[in-house]
Amino acid sequence: MPVSDLFRPLAALALVALAAMLVSVSVGSADLGIGDTLSVLVGGGSELHRTLILDLRLPRTLSAFATGGLLAVAGALMQVLLRNPLADPYVLGLSGGAAVGALLAMLAGAAGFLISGSAFAGAMLATLLVFGLAHGSGSWTPSRLLLTGVVVAAGWGAMITLILAMSPASRLPGMLYWLMGDLSHAGQPWPGLAVLVLVCLLVFPLGRSLNVLARGSLQAAALGVSVRSLEWLIYLVASLLTATAVTMAGAVGFVGLVVPHMLRLALGNDQRMILPACALAGGTLLVLADTLARVVIAPEQLPVGVITALIGVPTFLYLLYRSR
Amino acid sequence: MRIRKAVISLLASLFLVPGGLSAAQVCSEDALDRNVCLPEPAERVVSLSPGATELLFSAGAGDSVVAVSAWSDYPPPAAELPQVGDSNRLDLEAIVSLKPDLVVAWIDGNSRAQLDRLAKLGVPVFWLAPREFEDIARAVESLGRLTGHTPVAERAAAEFRQGISTLQATYRDSASVRVFYQVWDQPLMTINGDELISKAIALCGGTNVFADLPRLVPRISVETVLATEPEVIVTAGRGDSDRGWLASWQRFPSVTAVARDNLYLVSPSLLQRPTFRMLEGARELCGILEQARARL
Amino acid sequence: MTALTTDNLIIDIPGRAPGSPLNLEVQPGQVWGVLGPNGVGKTTLLHTLAGLRAPHRGEVLLDGRALGSLKRKSVSQQLGLVFQDRQDGFPATVLETALIGRHPWLSSWQMESGEDIAIAERALQALDVGHLRDRLVSTLSGGERQRVAIATLMTQAPDIWLLDEPSNHLDLHHQVAVMRLLSGHAEAGRAVFMCLHDLNLAARWCDHLLLMYPSGEACWGPAREMLVPSALESLYNQTLMTVEVDGAPVFVPVRS
Repeated sequence: MPVSDLFRPLAALALVALAAMLVSVSVGSADLGIGDTLSVLVGGGSELHRTLILDLRLPRTLSAFATGGLLAVAGALMQVLLRNPLADPYVLGLSGGAAVGALLAMLAGAAGFLISGSAFAGAMLATLLVFGLAHGSGSWTPSRLLLTGVVVAAGWGAMITLILAMSPASRLPGMLYWLMGDLSHAGQPWPGLAVLVLVCLLVFPLGRSLNVLARGSLQAAALGVSVRSLEWLIYLVASLLTATAVTMAGAVGFVGLVVPHMLRLALGNDQRMILPACALAGGTLLVLADTLARVVIAPEQLPVGVITALIGVPTFLYLLYRSR
Repeated sequence: MRIRKAVISLLASLFLVPGGLSAAQVCSEDALDRNVCLPEPAERVVSLSPGATELLFSAGAGDSVVAVSAWSDYPPPAAELPQVGDSNRLDLEAIVSLKPDLVVAWIDGNSRAQLDRLAKLGVPVFWLAPREFEDIARAVESLGRLTGHTPVAERAAAEFRQGISTLQATYRDSASVRVFYQVWDQPLMTINGDELISKAIALCGGTNVFADLPRLVPRISVETVLATEPEVIVTAGRGDSDRGWLASWQRFPSVTAVARDNLYLVSPSLLQRPTFRMLEGARELCGILEQARARL
Repeated sequence: MTALTTDNLIIDIPGRAPGSPLNLEVQPGQVWGVLGPNGVGKTTLLHTLAGLRAPHRGEVLLDGRALGSLKRKSVSQQLGLVFQDRQDGFPATVLETALIGRHPWLSSWQMESGEDIAIAERALQALDVGHLRDRLVSTLSGGERQRVAIATLMTQAPDIWLLDEPSNHLDLHHQVAVMRLLSGHAEAGRAVFMCLHDLNLAARWCDHLLLMYPSGEACWGPAREMLVPSALESLYNQTLMTVEVDGAPVFVPVRS
């Protein structure tokens, strides 16, 4: 595929993403017009407006974008890894591990950085656990990985329920919001954005190998791909992406499943196109979903995961229904 | 002769037995508007929420409490009592085997369905749901009556009512201040006007900026808080570990509360339960608001 | 052009006793057919020759160099394989599918150029599927998919072509066209090594044969020497009649 073919859809998606971010920073419970927003963005505006937009809305919008992008790219990678278009970033139990880490930190009374750090540690622990177990005696197939991941995920689920059952009522709202995915306490967006950009650059040279891998591991090996190391690389990269996303916003569902799937229907399955497109479209989706979460019952807030699930479930069912 | 004897004993049973009961019977109406009657004052009471435990002790019935729910940490002797589970996950078997003659339940924490089963087993259940300061005083009076401590309970209730009305009189004409009360930080939560803490704020001459929201404990965004322009921010963190809650507001110097250094940390233990300790909590809150007024 | 040889190769079939060692020499210009009943290990042999499976014992050599010592990428430039069954979990067009054959020839940062596309298109034309270029592979018939797979191998253009049942799903005309294409490429200096289940197709188009017996025994050599009725009868455990048509033997199973 010539580079110019890549450019047009990606440029269109980037424009949509910018528009979504502009909407997101102009909308909120405090009433600011688009004019006020623009004047702040170019360096003017009153002090309160500057605070609202630059300190509150913009970091949150960028965090939403990074989270959505990370999850969508991770989902697309997992789908190639498992050769299953219905896989999502959490299918191997990574969100469960992150959740157990975060909830334990909350139960112990930790806040802020300790919760995200603990979530990240939990996510990496879950990754290594599945990695080790699926490796087992050496024979390794996507279905074995999937099965290991699903069973480990069920184990995490049980631990989450146990922690929730043992927690005092005052801690439950925080825990439930975390589990549903919530952006209100995403810290700095920059680490997430940096990881997103880095991975998009990294996967570009891997893109054609991923295309070949999507045809099956034997076919890929016959075409000169080092299948085993590529698969572990994808697994680790996807895990790192998901862990970063989960650390920022908790377990936001459906972005990683729906976005790659929809983009494949529209743009085909060239990973060099799909992966950056996922970063842009996933980010856009989460920015819009978070904007909704902030305004639907304003001034009260909904967790963004509720919105993505409400959008994601019917969309996905429709796609499945149409795809026969 | 036989008939006569039978008639006499029948009459005796009609007059004597009920008469004998009525001497000790105690009744009180609970929050579900049911008149709960006990044949005699309760001596084995199980409390199913930390708030109920406090009210029982305030009513002078501390010695009759045989078991409590988890987190019943006040007054200190309550923490030593056997526990029958978390308020929303009670161990019915443990409760029944304690053979209580009264169980005190809390409308916001306990499960109706679960406790209706307890009532079917013949255990009297008294429901509490204090929404006003007056409800707290009445709850203590009711518990005093049901446990045979009426004089103690009435004295305590009168003291509480007196304390509240003193506060009311003191701050009735004070200048109003706009108060944001932070219940939790992740997610950011506050209270609406129906919550007793908000009523305590009003008592002190403050205005809860989120009094009009529909839910009792609404979840809001930082942006919304800034938009309401609070003059005082009160956070209910648990001691020094939650000083960070206050620090995170320092980022917004354009807010009056921050500009005037009107950021306060109160201990939630005095305010979080609708009990007599609220009076103390309300006094602390009034002091804070008075200090804040001076800085405006 | 590359030669494929095996040195005392015993393929690894789990749960089966090791068969007799193979010492094959597949030279440029040769067309090899592998014959044998179902389950005898023909596919396993192809995968072993392609380096996708470890042998039980012995070695596969490309121009005298052990397959295991070569980089996968350089192996895939010299040797390619058409699989018997293919995965298409993800949607892909016919052209995209053929283009993956260029993978071994492109560096990581290279996009497929117009020249690569032209190579793929020529291959699709040669297999008579050029008109399906923009169709999704999942919508094709079995025979069309088979030809797309062979076109992918042709796009890959290795020296050694391994094919697992290339005549599967093909109608008579396309069977002949594919066989003609394969022997044409052999004449141009490539080596073709394919599993076949059609004895007569092998007799007609292959110049060398490898017979794999259920007992694990194997024999190989020029087709003339291998097409002995008694050997073939014991291979398939089936009585055969032989007739000569157009200068070549034709084997027909005896009724009852």
